[in-house]
Amino acid sequence: MFCSSIRMANSAVSSRGRRALVVEDNAIIRVVVRKLMKEQGIVLEEAENGKAAVESVKDGKSYDLILMDREMSVMDGHEATKQLRLLGVKTPIVALSADSQQCDRDLFLRAGADEFVEKPLTKDKLAGILSKYGLQ
Amino acid sequence: MEIGNLQRRYLDFASTLFHEGFLDNQFTQLQQLQDESSPEFVLEVVTLFFEDSEKLLDELSRTLNQQAVDFKKVDAHVHQLKGSSASIGAQRVKNVCVAFRNCCEEMNQEGCLRCLRQVRNEYFLVKNKLETLFALEQQIVAAGGSVPMMW
Repeated sequence: MFCSSIRMANSAVSSRGRRALVVEDNAIIRVVVRKLMKEQGIVLEEAENGKAAVESVKDGKSYDLILMDREMSVMDGHEATKQLRLLGVKTPIVALSADSQQCDRDLFLRAGADEFVEKPLTKDKLAGILSKYGLQ
Repeated sequence: MEIGNLQRRYLDFASTLFHEGFLDNQFTQLQQLQDESSPEFVLEVVTLFFEDSEKLLDELSRTLNQQAVDFKKVDAHVHQLKGSSASIGAQRVKNVCVAFRNCCEEMNQEGCLRCLRQVRNEYFLVKNKLETLFALEQQIVAAGGSVPMMW
């Protein structure tokens, strides 16, 4: 059901070439994020689980922003975040989750995420994230 | 039917969907993402939701009617359905999924079956409502009018 391949979502490149990675197993959520990012002129890659995201980085890819879902098969967001930080990734990692319990947020932040944003991702939330990390 | 009447009917109908909790602000967010470069964005996303949800509901039914229920598998499917429904603003479906996940955590088969009936009911209700909404949009466009914004 879940493949671990990375798919390039669109080829629109802004003059600054900002690149983001969304790590999310739900195809519908990825479609929405894809559109949100396209509106912002950000090149988006998509990974269907944490392992695919980690493999992407190991393959030498780099990003200006990583949006990380929590619950995914193969490798979840906590583990993927931990592994990315162990690999030396300094990119802002924004955890996305529909469940906003404090313990869950703490777990993500301890794993190395910079921030925790509640799903669903909206235009305003994304604008806030991009502004915060100088990507707007 | 005259364009003005169609547009009023559309707005009234859309308004009730929000008022009755079938849709929430996330649906409006999707509509705001629709533009000339993707004029059928909402329809595409909602169609994906319909396809995905019906597969998930069938899987849930299969999994919950096993002798030994794999609650982890059930929970994974409900998690997917919850995420999808939240992404398109199908609020009532999402809310049932929240309760459904609680039943999975408690490994309560009866509770899960009850939630499955509820979520299936809510899904088909919102599907019907959205199909009506899109049909009204098509009627407005066919009559030469433009679909009014809801925000």
